[in-house]
Amino acid sequence: MSQPGTRTLELQPTPLRARGTAGTWLTGMALFVCVVMIVGLLGLILVSGSRTFWQRPIENVTLASGQSFYGMRFRTEQSPDMGERTLYRVGNRDLGQQPFRWVDEDEIANRERPDDAVLIERYEWGIWLGVPTRIIEIDDDGGRSVAAEGAQNVLEKLPSYLDAARARHIRAEKIRSDEIAKLNHKLEKLRLTDLNAKLRANSAEHNGHIGYGLWCSLVVLCLGSALGVYVLNAPIPRRLLILAMCLTALGAFVERPWADRPISQEQLDEILAGTSARRIKLAAQFTELTDQVAAIEAEDARYRVEIIDPLTGRFAALSQSQTDEPMKVSQIIRVVQPNKMGLSGKVGLYLSRWWEFISRNPREANTEGGVFPVIIGTLLVTLLLTIAVVPLGVMAALYMREYARQGLVISILRVAINNLAGVPSIVYGVFGLGFFCYGIGGVIDGGPDPSIVLRAGQWWILLFIAAGFAFVAMTISSGGPKNKRGLLGGLAWGAVAILAVIAVFTTPYFDGFFRAKLVDGSPTFGTSGLLWASLTLALLTLPVVIVSAEEAIAAVPGSLREGSYGCGASKWQTIQRVVLPGAMPGILTGAILAMARGAGEVAPLMIVGAVKLAPQLPFEARFPFIFADRSFMHLGFHIYDLGFKSPDSEAARGYVWTTTLLLVTLVVLMNLTAIRIRTKLKARFQSGQF
Amino acid sequence: MTTQPTSTTERSVAHAVQTGVAFEAARHKELVEIDSVLDVSKFSLWYGENRALYDIAMSIPRGKVTALIGPSGCGKSTLLRSVNRLNDLVPSVRTSGEMLLNGRSIYDPGVDVISLRKRVGMVFQKSNPFPMSIFENVVYPLRIAGERKKSVLRDTCERALKSAAIWEEVKDRLHDSALGLSGGQQQRLCIARAVAVEPEVLLMDEPCSALDPIATARIEELIHDISSRYTVLIVTHNMQQASRVSDFTAFMYLGRLVEYGTTKQIFQNPHLPETEQYVTGRFG
Ligand SMILES: Nc1ncnc2c1ncn2[C@@H]1O[C@H](COP(=O)(O)OP(=O)(O)OP(=O)(O)O)[C@@H](O)[C@H]1O
Ligand SMILES: [Mg+2]
Repeated sequence: MSQPGTRTLELQPTPLRARGTAGTWLTGMALFVCVVMIVGLLGLILVSGSRTFWQRPIENVTLASGQSFYGMRFRTEQSPDMGERTLYRVGNRDLGQQPFRWVDEDEIANRERPDDAVLIERYEWGIWLGVPTRIIEIDDDGGRSVAAEGAQNVLEKLPSYLDAARARHIRAEKIRSDEIAKLNHKLEKLRLTDLNAKLRANSAEHNGHIGYGLWCSLVVLCLGSALGVYVLNAPIPRRLLILAMCLTALGAFVERPWADRPISQEQLDEILAGTSARRIKLAAQFTELTDQVAAIEAEDARYRVEIIDPLTGRFAALSQSQTDEPMKVSQIIRVVQPNKMGLSGKVGLYLSRWWEFISRNPREANTEGGVFPVIIGTLLVTLLLTIAVVPLGVMAALYMREYARQGLVISILRVAINNLAGVPSIVYGVFGLGFFCYGIGGVIDGGPDPSIVLRAGQWWILLFIAAGFAFVAMTISSGGPKNKRGLLGGLAWGAVAILAVIAVFTTPYFDGFFRAKLVDGSPTFGTSGLLWASLTLALLTLPVVIVSAEEAIAAVPGSLREGSYGCGASKWQTIQRVVLPGAMPGILTGAILAMARGAGEVAPLMIVGAVKLAPQLPFEARFPFIFADRSFMHLGFHIYDLGFKSPDSEAARGYVWTTTLLLVTLVVLMNLTAIRIRTKLKARFQSGQF
Repeated sequence: MTTQPTSTTERSVAHAVQTGVAFEAARHKELVEIDSVLDVSKFSLWYGENRALYDIAMSIPRGKVTALIGPSGCGKSTLLRSVNRLNDLVPSVRTSGEMLLNGRSIYDPGVDVISLRKRVGMVFQKSNPFPMSIFENVVYPLRIAGERKKSVLRDTCERALKSAAIWEEVKDRLHDSALGLSGGQQQRLCIARAVAVEPEVLLMDEPCSALDPIATARIEELIHDISSRYTVLIVTHNMQQASRVSDFTAFMYLGRLVEYGTTKQIFQNPHLPETEQYVTGRFG
């Protein structure tokens, strides 16, 4: 036995379990798997997306059967019967062939890259592969002369012809998109004027207008507030009240709410006569413009080029029905001679294709051309959603943090908001369609549902009850016993809000802003569109904004608030000057995260407004610039549409990747901006010393 | 109950605390003829169920520096924050008793708290400059009062910074962030902010507790300088500081005012043994 006092410490090797090596491995492996997945995802998108526009050589493939064709090799894979097969893009769709063609490697006898082979990108019918042989000019009386013969010659001369054709194209486009569109717009307005006049002539009972009801409520509100401010000393800034009164007066002046009365038959006839006179004038202008365009097109038709497909020996035709006529030069977007192209040429081509992708409209069921309207749609919807969600979310968060008593109700509310973030987005889409499009949009278009409209007397009684509640609420909020103030005031204001909403939805004085169009069968706001999509997405991202704003507000130190109160600041001043600036980095981060989420959302957009091909941009260079009722295109939906709804999935494949790359880049850029803003503002708002 | 009832124990604080009776503070006779700016009478305050102040009664002399001393948790900050009603921000607070500023009640229901706080400046224990420029910090009280004139703002800023003895250090960087200042500078900036609107009373809650001796000395000097213009009520844990800067000293203990007199008397000739023990550092 060991002697007392000389106990030796027996050192045992630390068991493996205690060393923690296993833990290091395990956690490290988990991280590794995560990194591989993320990098893999982004890498795949990056590689596939950036490959699409790279020009591949044109091969002249000769098969064992003696047949030979031009094609661009896409990929090679093991076919099911164990041989290798290669996918060629052969284009020339108007010959009636598939634009992609699988060829077994065994069958291929020979491959070469002819110098003369060219790739023609066309406005219609996709690409054409072939050998150029002639440029033909047609003079005014139909005589044809060959301007160039032989591939070399043609390729030398073609660029100048192309430039001329492009200049004409730009001119024609300008006439079409600017002037003819303007005329169309004016004609549409005339048509609506007619419709409106007819509606007003035929309506006896709906003799009012939204302006009237709105103006009356404004008057009531202004008078009530004036009473509150000047009699009860309510804490409403006088300047604001005076502004509201001025706006009300202005509204009366501009809108002339009393002026919208039914019109007599004579007046109707007068209006119709006026519009038809203007219509005739416009029609004359219209003919003039179409003549100009026709002249340009006639000029276009004079220059032809023959590009022969080696397999069939036929040239690219003017159109499907005129196969014996060679195509016009003006049908060509770009001529590429890939086999003779150097690296710099290929890089230039690559960049110009990206530029075209970003700046042009889509063609050929979205599988060619660009995604410009898609980008614009995505940006606009994101912009509108941000404008809607940020102020709302921040105000809600402010109320919850700064004003509300922290108790059970607020806790429940907070949990509810957090849960809202987990509701599947398609649910928001369905809600948006039902509530925004059909509910609110329907009222905006055609006024409230006739079955719930009150009679005038009833409606005015309702309005006066609402005004009475507003008066009571104001009295309670500006004075009265302090401990009861919150609950009673809240109840009174709640009643005002509910009554006001009921009044809006039951007014007999409102026929809708776009009744004429609705009667005509085309709802304006009563269907899916940019505005409702933005609001739906705003609802979807509201929890993100509220939660992040609340956190940011809570993170503003209490000592700053106390300092502000100690200087004699009111609560609102403290919030405005100390709390909000201090919380700004967090609020902005939340806002940008919400934007990124909204920009990437697809499911609700499919229901409330994103479309495969929007006829018009939701943005135009005339008032009101953003046309929020229009349908729009969206990158996320575009990817879905290209990938799964495209008639030619092989052709769409490349575009799926590039569009994905674009969307991911957009979202990543937004997130980077968020991080940048955050660090910048943090540096401004946080003390440098510890 | 083993202690003998003597004349001292009848007036002992411990006895009052144990039995829960009100405690009549030992008030020195020098206080009788003062001109008071703030009168506190029978003022009590509860945080929910907990009573933090017990029937405080004291008068703060005008144009003098009064120090509040006492062990931690005795209610000094609470009393200070009651003067500008900053305790209103704590939802559970309840008060009773009276507080008169220049003869007008502070706790009257009709009192405009905001204008009260403009008349009573406050400097906190931890400096709390706002995340704005130095200039904006100093003129903050004017801005929230709606002052717009550039010249007024500039003059006030300069005057306040000068009276807080920081003008020379910051005059070239007025539009830099206040957060770039050192701790002591930040505290003096907060003093400048508090005196920018010429308050009648300046409340200071341990203004030097986070500062090094040199910065502390500067602020003590500053308190000395401005005490001719403002009434200062200062909380401090530093006995030397209390004896250096203050004219009067009040000793608090467990929510009660125990002894109140001139600083000289409190430190050299206190009436109660508790006060003596506390100021000599043997108690608390
Ligand atoms: N917001 C509050 N809610 C509840 N109780 C509080 C609150 N603030 C202070 N108290 C209690 O009031 C009592 C007095 O606190 P106070 O802060 O006034 O002490 P103090 O004298 O300033 O102490 P110190 O010297 O440590 O600053 C303490 O018991 C404290 O627990
Ligand atoms: Mg304290």
